[in-house]
Amino acid sequence: MAETLFYLSAALTLVLAAGVVLARSPMSSVLALLGSFFGLAVVYLLSGFQFLAAAQLVVYAGAILVLFLFVIMLLDLRTAESGGAIPRGRAAAGAALVAAGAAALGLATAVDPGLKAPAGDPTPGGIDRLDVMARALFGPHALAFEAAGMLLLVAMVAVIALAKRERARSGGGA
Amino acid sequence: MSVPTSHLLYLAAGLFGLGVLGFALRRNVIVVLMSVELMLNAANLTFLAGSRAHSTPGADDVTGAVFAVFVIVVAAVEAAVGLALVIALYRLRRSVDTGAIAELKG
Repeated sequence: MAETLFYLSAALTLVLAAGVVLARSPMSSVLALLGSFFGLAVVYLLSGFQFLAAAQLVVYAGAILVLFLFVIMLLDLRTAESGGAIPRGRAAAGAALVAAGAAALGLATAVDPGLKAPAGDPTPGGIDRLDVMARALFGPHALAFEAAGMLLLVAMVAVIALAKRERARSGGGA
Repeated sequence: MSVPTSHLLYLAAGLFGLGVLGFALRRNVIVVLMSVELMLNAANLTFLAGSRAHSTPGADDVTGAVFAVFVIVVAAVEAAVGLALVIALYRLRRSVDTGAIAELKG
């Protein structure tokens, strides 16, 4: 049962990820990416990562993709450019890349390294239980945690600077 | 769930390959950024597959899961800065085509 659900959501994830690449309009790309992330969240959940499945939905689907949607709606790309699918010259290169990737995956499945599923059922409550995650984040990984917080602060300042400079310039020109 | 670890890795490889395709072939900067998100998610799935492979019911290894959290943070930062750049570029050029950006061409 869980296995069937896994392979279904894995197929959904891959098909929608291909939709991201092939969709003609950026809006369809974002919606395909949203569905792909939902499928991936199901994969996380089935693999025993409940917190990360929730984080995937809240942070990726809820925040990052909404940011993409905001920008796409802000820019009104339909009048700016068709957003065209893959240009003709690059289609051949793309086909070659797909063939190479399929061959590599086929080779990998042929010489299956035999990485089996972990023995036994996962721990009740998932592998990434909040208490375990919190001890890891604030214990051995505390420095990385603080660095991530600093990175977010720097990025926020950078984004404000990028957006504000342009606004001041266009205001001065008017 | 008794899905072998290698199948999780195949899924991650497929996702990463599709991300590379989008990154290399599309001209719309926003779709290129979305392809980068796809690749980051593939990396996340690989980390989680490793974490799962090293976990036993009594003793779970959450290192991969912790790393996945950091990857999500970096993905959020990358999307925010990248999209701010896209907006600045659009104000300058009225376009989000990668072909329109050639300032650094030698």
